[in-house]
Amino acid sequence: MILRGAIFRLKIVPRFWRKMLPSIIIYGLVNSVNLALIALGFSLTFGISGVANFAYGGFYILSGFLVWMLLNYLKFPFILAIIVTIGVVGLLGFATYWVILLRVRGIALSEVIATFALGVGILELFRWLGFVTYEFTLPYFKKGMVMIAGVPVDYQRLFMIGIGLALVLFLYFFTHYTRIGLAFRGIAQNERTAISLGIRSDWTAALSLAFGSAMAAVAAIVILPLGIISINTGYEVLLIAVAVGIVGGLESVPGILVASLILGYAQIITGTYFKPQWMMVVYLAAIVLVLAIKPSGLFGKFKELEERV
Amino acid sequence: MKKIVFLICVVFILSILIGLSQNVFAQLKPGDPIVIGVPTALGAIEGKDSWMAAQMAVDEINAKGGVLVGSTKHLLKIYSIDTREHEPGIPVHDALTAVEKLILEKKPHAIVVGAFRSEVLLASMDLISKYKLPYICSIAMSPLYQKKISEEYDKYKYCFRNGINSPYYVMYLQGVMEFLKKEFGFNKAYIIVQDVLWAKATGQGLEKWYKEQGWELAGFDTYATGASDFSPSLIKVRAQKAQVIMTIFDMPQSGILLKQARAMKVPALLAGFLSPVAPENAWDVFEGEVEGVLNLIDEIGPVPVKAVPRSVAFNENFGKRWGKDARMKLSGHSSPGYDAVYILANAIERAKSVEPDALVSTLEKTDMTGVVGRIRFAKDHQVNYGYDPKETALGCVIQWKKPGIRVVVFPESIAEGKIELPPHMK
Repeated sequence: MILRGAIFRLKIVPRFWRKMLPSIIIYGLVNSVNLALIALGFSLTFGISGVANFAYGGFYILSGFLVWMLLNYLKFPFILAIIVTIGVVGLLGFATYWVILLRVRGIALSEVIATFALGVGILELFRWLGFVTYEFTLPYFKKGMVMIAGVPVDYQRLFMIGIGLALVLFLYFFTHYTRIGLAFRGIAQNERTAISLGIRSDWTAALSLAFGSAMAAVAAIVILPLGIISINTGYEVLLIAVAVGIVGGLESVPGILVASLILGYAQIITGTYFKPQWMMVVYLAAIVLVLAIKPSGLFGKFKELEERV
Repeated sequence: MKKIVFLICVVFILSILIGLSQNVFAQLKPGDPIVIGVPTALGAIEGKDSWMAAQMAVDEINAKGGVLVGSTKHLLKIYSIDTREHEPGIPVHDALTAVEKLILEKKPHAIVVGAFRSEVLLASMDLISKYKLPYICSIAMSPLYQKKISEEYDKYKYCFRNGINSPYYVMYLQGVMEFLKKEFGFNKAYIIVQDVLWAKATGQGLEKWYKEQGWELAGFDTYATGASDFSPSLIKVRAQKAQVIMTIFDMPQSGILLKQARAMKVPALLAGFLSPVAPENAWDVFEGEVEGVLNLIDEIGPVPVKAVPRSVAFNENFGKRWGKDARMKLSGHSSPGYDAVYILANAIERAKSVEPDALVSTLEKTDMTGVVGRIRFAKDHQVNYGYDPKETALGCVIQWKKPGIRVVVFPESIAEGKIELPPHMK
């Protein structure tokens, strides 16, 4: 009520805008967390191993279909299906490194081609298998909604916000207070020095793939109940992850969060006050703008030296 | 010697040109099957169902010995190809390549079902004209198809459509809107459509009608094929207190719109067309969230209508042929695929030939009863749709009601119940 009251006292804002501001603030936040959830796994893998995992969208959709199949074919309890899926997709990410990426490690273009081919393979396999209709939906964690500042918000979106925040906190503590997390940071900061201190580069990179893929699974399990599992979403997810990464800085978690907020709100504002068909343009415009002004992204460090030169 | 070689070349080229100007596939010897091509989006529920319906009709006709051409009976044979035209990012040219591949490899005598997207339909017309193939479109709905046929009849006379088109589509939805205004006093609508030709044409038709009829139009948004977030429009619907959300979508992702509208507790009646909401299993898939939704069923048959017994028989037989699961998933478009085969078989028997020009002539004189009602082509080769199954073909509007049934609510001539406001609007 306080938020709603404050907005309505803002006389300088046109009435039409004021009327929709509470919805925009709340759904902008939801959209931002949605983007952050999608982009975090991609960013984590890139930040540690330098591998741009273009199979990310494939893993995201695979996770959705895996949960769906475990629930509907094998009649798993929902929570068990979630745990199994996160584990399986994480393992798949781990295997991807050893089976596919190890041979092309360090050749950026080959890494992109290999992972993109894997992602397309996964997505198109599901299309070929006939997973293309509206029937593939995941259950809500909890049905129902609450009113916040006069705006209805369903529990699933609140879960999304909660899990998004929890994931960020987990990442912080994991990378600062655990052996594997510290190894991740070591490799990310300087791979050669880290190797000289006994950190195994390939294992760390494989684990980063596993963690990134598992995070794609978490994102899918939280977000997909709000819609349907659609193969095309896999391609969209990859675009989102790349767009948020480029804007924020591919290897920077704070950058991902800030970029998610910028793009999340920009999209909702564009869709609400202009036309929804322009929402996708927001990503592309942001990519072009950031690449032109600060190619390493708002918080990225990778190209800073070249930028200065 | 040079002259002879030159003459041979000229004769050879001329024979190719003459061959191309005739339908080279039109010859039929005893024992030859009549080949029907089905180039469509087999990955889309409407495309797949239409192919299944056409195959069912072929099986039925073949079980009776086939189609009588002159004094000999010929079996029908269907060949399909997936054009993937419903998928985002698939260019029209790719779909056309698939259509031409089917024509050249399988040498069909005619095509049924045809394009899923109007963009592909319109682009296919020149290809159809080039090969002189009778073509009965059952899915794509743009009225530009008829306009082109009317304007260049000689070129496009092979093109027919037995499925519904956008103007008829608008006609049914207008009828429902009139009822809502009269019964509940509704006068404010918000249009949300897919960014494809037929959906935009339908939306624009409705926009014009709303304005003429004194409705307040709160907004008109379009979403790209494959879009999965509709919250910006739903925020506006809530803020502007629209009573009706007119949706026109044929993509699976449009089910998300329903889920989001329910999650956001948007107090408006969803009406129009959401393809995932049409099938019988939608209640279970969306866990009852479809309650109250008014959805147009493009042509009757997927929903059995008691007043039209053939629609009931089609629905039951589809279940027997393809299984209960397939019947439960039967989409809004499907029965015209079935009817198209019968229309073609009927025309071939009357023409006593599969020769394209003879077929065009008999197709134009079609007057038969199909699953969708009475089938007659207008001068622009579009089957007439209306409200009386004895006079025209029919689409219908259903409303989802507890305990998970689709009740036909419009047109009144075949209605089996009345439109009611869903619980979240009472």
